[in-house]
Amino acid sequence: MIDYARFVYQWFRGEIVSIPGRVIALIFILGLFLFPLITTQPYILRILIMAGLFSIYAASWDVLGGFTGQVNLGHSLFFGVAAYAAALLNLRLNLPPYLTIPLGSILAVGAGLIVGLPALRVRGFYLSLVTLAFPIILTGVVFIFPGFTGGELGIYGVTSISQSRILDYYVVLLVMLVCLTVMYKFTDAKSKFVRTGLILHAIREDEISARMSGINTTRYKLLAFCVSGFFAGIAGGLYAHFLNIAGPSSLDLFFSFQAILWSIFGGMGTIYGAVVGVFILYPILELSRLQPILEEIRFLIFGLILILTLFFMPEGLSVWVVDKIEIICPRCKIKNVFTRKYCRACRAPISRNMSEEIQKEGDIDDIRL
Amino acid sequence: MKNQEMKWYFIIAVFLAVLMVGIATDVKAAKKIKIGVIGPMKYLVGEHQWMGAQLAAEQINKAGGIAVGSERRMVELVKVDDNNLLSVSDAVSAIERAITVDKVDFLTGGGRSEANLAQQEVMAKYKKIFMNASSGAMQLSMRIAKNYDKYKYWFRVGMFNGKYTGGLIFANVELVAKKIRKDLGIATPNVAIIAEKVMWPDAIIKAAKAQLPKMGMKLVGVWRPSASATDTTSELTAIKNKRAHIIFTIGGGPVDTVWSVQYGELQIPAAMVGLSTDALRSKFWKDSRGNCNYQLVMSYLADLPGKTFYKEYRERFNDDPIFHSLTYDAIYVVKEAIERCGTVESDAVVAELEKTDFQSFRGRIVFHPKDHATPHDLIWGPKYATGFGLQWQDGKLVPVLPRGDAVLGDERWKGINYSTAEYKLPPRMIKYWKSKK
Amino acid sequence: MLSMIIINGITLGGMFALLAMGFSLVFGVARILNMTHTAFYMITCFLIFSGTDYLKLSLLPAAMMAIPVTVVIGMLSYKFIFDRIKEHETAVMIVSLAFAIVLQEIILLIFGGHFRSVPPFASGFIEFGGSRVTYQHFFVVGVVGLVIVGVFLLLSRTRLGNAIKAVAQDREIANLMGIDVSRMCMIVTGISAGLAAMASAILAPIYMSEPLMWLHSLVMVLAVVVLGGLGSVKGSVIAAFILGFAENTVIFLIPEGSFLRGAVSLAAMVVVILARPEGLFGVVFEEERL
Repeated sequence: MIDYARFVYQWFRGEIVSIPGRVIALIFILGLFLFPLITTQPYILRILIMAGLFSIYAASWDVLGGFTGQVNLGHSLFFGVAAYAAALLNLRLNLPPYLTIPLGSILAVGAGLIVGLPALRVRGFYLSLVTLAFPIILTGVVFIFPGFTGGELGIYGVTSISQSRILDYYVVLLVMLVCLTVMYKFTDAKSKFVRTGLILHAIREDEISARMSGINTTRYKLLAFCVSGFFAGIAGGLYAHFLNIAGPSSLDLFFSFQAILWSIFGGMGTIYGAVVGVFILYPILELSRLQPILEEIRFLIFGLILILTLFFMPEGLSVWVVDKIEIICPRCKIKNVFTRKYCRACRAPISRNMSEEIQKEGDIDDIRL
Repeated sequence: MKNQEMKWYFIIAVFLAVLMVGIATDVKAAKKIKIGVIGPMKYLVGEHQWMGAQLAAEQINKAGGIAVGSERRMVELVKVDDNNLLSVSDAVSAIERAITVDKVDFLTGGGRSEANLAQQEVMAKYKKIFMNASSGAMQLSMRIAKNYDKYKYWFRVGMFNGKYTGGLIFANVELVAKKIRKDLGIATPNVAIIAEKVMWPDAIIKAAKAQLPKMGMKLVGVWRPSASATDTTSELTAIKNKRAHIIFTIGGGPVDTVWSVQYGELQIPAAMVGLSTDALRSKFWKDSRGNCNYQLVMSYLADLPGKTFYKEYRERFNDDPIFHSLTYDAIYVVKEAIERCGTVESDAVVAELEKTDFQSFRGRIVFHPKDHATPHDLIWGPKYATGFGLQWQDGKLVPVLPRGDAVLGDERWKGINYSTAEYKLPPRMIKYWKSKK
Repeated sequence: MLSMIIINGITLGGMFALLAMGFSLVFGVARILNMTHTAFYMITCFLIFSGTDYLKLSLLPAAMMAIPVTVVIGMLSYKFIFDRIKEHETAVMIVSLAFAIVLQEIILLIFGGHFRSVPPFASGFIEFGGSRVTYQHFFVVGVVGLVIVGVFLLLSRTRLGNAIKAVAQDREIANLMGIDVSRMCMIVTGISAGLAAMASAILAPIYMSEPLMWLHSLVMVLAVVVLGGLGSVKGSVIAAFILGFAENTVIFLIPEGSFLRGAVSLAAMVVVILARPEGLFGVVFEEERL
């Protein structure tokens, strides 16, 4: 027992406390869990709930966009399909939220297949623009069958996730953590349990080489499409149950763009970047409405924050910060705090300057290739 | 040293004074009635919701506020930009913020129906009265009938619901048809419907398909551009080629401006009649460069002789009211209900609001009773709020309906006359159809 | 019926063509998916509107003043924003989107969310095979024709055009040949902003202007550009007319479904792309060796 505790303690010290990025993540998660102790103001909790479900949505975009390089401009399709499906299942068949949300997500996976199969024929920007078309086409379909879909009113009167706001908060928080962990593991190239992360990275870097190594790249890209659709669907289902409505606005063009804005702002291809993006931008945009002057110009501020951030940190905020506070040991590839002079594992000298030099050399190598 | 001490005393004294004033104003603030005006404040709809509410609040405060029991309370408005045109989730957050952070006592305004339906849930959760001034969707009140106790805090005071609006539009179409029969001698005029593709016109179109033949007209086609379309040239040319005499418009979105302008620009030889929001402002003459001439528009409000609302509105804002300015009525109706029951407690005020019989500048404001299929909807009818038909005649928007005779075969309308001019057909239309004979 | 589809199709197609050509040019040369492009179109509409409404100018001088302003804004946006981060493709796209939002908000703050229209060059119409066409529509067709010819001449007959094409074909080699790639990209962004501005000068009298209009036209421009093949100016022009006709056919054949015109043309675009993944006249870039 004590041995086990010691093991846990050592793991905690070695794997979390000594890596600043993970410390921040831990503080963030603990902070979210303890937040209702500070205030249970329903409006504040609403902002956090929305941020939570949008972070699932943004991260799910990142699974596809950041890891396979397939920039999906119509991500709201998955969100909207699941929101509509969850709402319809809830109202027509009286299913409770814990069934409608997964079922809705499975339908979103279906949508992912329908979009993904043909979309994989095209590449790069073409794929982005083909995916852009699907939610708009679906909006047209929604308006053709107003009796079934509710037309511009949407499907209203969907039951709430739970009866109290605090319970809603914890449900969304837990779902968010589970979803993010699964997505993180799914895309983690260093994971020892699942290979998908490594394969997706390989596909993004060089699809032909990946294929030559015997990887069925189409299958994996399709898998990424489905996983991305599934989690966007979970976010969509939660949205429908939290706002009690699923309407055509969940298929809006701008809504798709938002997922991209958040994840690029936070840092693409990281999963946690999307979370950072949502939890910074969404509350800023929402809380600025408390001040009448700020409210007038909040979208202007939003745009300027985006431009300036990407201007100075084109890879995104979280990537930039992690890069500043963590140094990867050039010899054993272990992460270290930026204050260390020697690697915590192999004692090799590490310093900011040195690793920058190494990077520069790397650049030169690239050019020679 | 002594000076130093004095300084401290002085600072403490100032601090206490500020605190006292703060507490005092806080006490004073507690005596106000806070009304949240919720809508897309950066857009035309929101601007007018705010202006209408502002006018009412200023007038009420000038007259000494609202009498709640024995005390008089001032009205304080809170501007709530809910951005409902772009984001429904923003709209829902906004109403919750208004209720829980700004602590408003009542809400008015509204907008996009999808957002309204979602806002109703929050309203019901906190039991706040929402006087909707900006939506005609039947579903909003139909759900009150299904779950009265939950949604009873919602009233439709600005616009009529879809069914009544349809009736009012048919009344206007009937007026045009009568004139065509009389002036052009065409017994069964052809009608083309152009309606934006959202849901609420569906009911009107369905009714039109059934009603128009009965009213002695022939429907030649229905065109449904999207609400945000920026060009209707194709639709209008197609309508002209179908030999339509009447263009029946149903729109509340951006597209209705487009077809008004293009109607004049293309010199379509037909009479345009129906629902168009933008065409109701006096600025529209200039905005459309006079292209809206002879267009007949149904309206919930009108500049009637002897009524001061339009005059006051213009003096205060240098602009004409639109439908959404009826937040003005909403606030007066609430005021009256509060004064009758002597409290601002929601359930008591709802009970009083249901008994409302308020004389507004546009007629009697009475709501449907709770056992109606659409409870809490504003009633349209000869003895109630009548609605109007306004026609653009050379730069002026003049009331031409109701004009004292029966409407849609209903004799009760006889004698109810608000018109100040006779309805006219566009001269180009008379010329065109006379030459065709 | 057919004549109406043709006339209205040409007008709508002309609008798409003007907008899509600039977009395509920037993509071909600077490799940027410039989401701000239709926002340039939007701001020019409002610049023209402020010229005609506040300064009481007629359309032509107002347009003459508005177009250069937009061109300068376009060039500055490249110089100070896009050029710096052009290595990060997605980041550039997002920055251009954010820039469009910024422009939209500025216009919203100044003009409010109202619908504005400006007077046409000449009002009136011509009866043409039973359908009515305003002078402004004819004017659109004429200007679009001239501009298309002009752009092709610019690309094929001038030194600048050769330089632009060189950069589009291979920027490294162009750089070695002594062409200032970055400057070329800036000029092309300016030209494309100018094309968008020209589109708004002739279309502002026909369509209503509002601060959110860029989002709707962006979708159509993207559809046109993809259908024609990214980076191919010729393809964009042809695709623009195809989609223009497609939309009008929908309106005339299924009047009750005219709200579907966008959805139908997008569906057509998707079908074509699935059959021909590089668009009708797509250029396959060297880096994309797949």
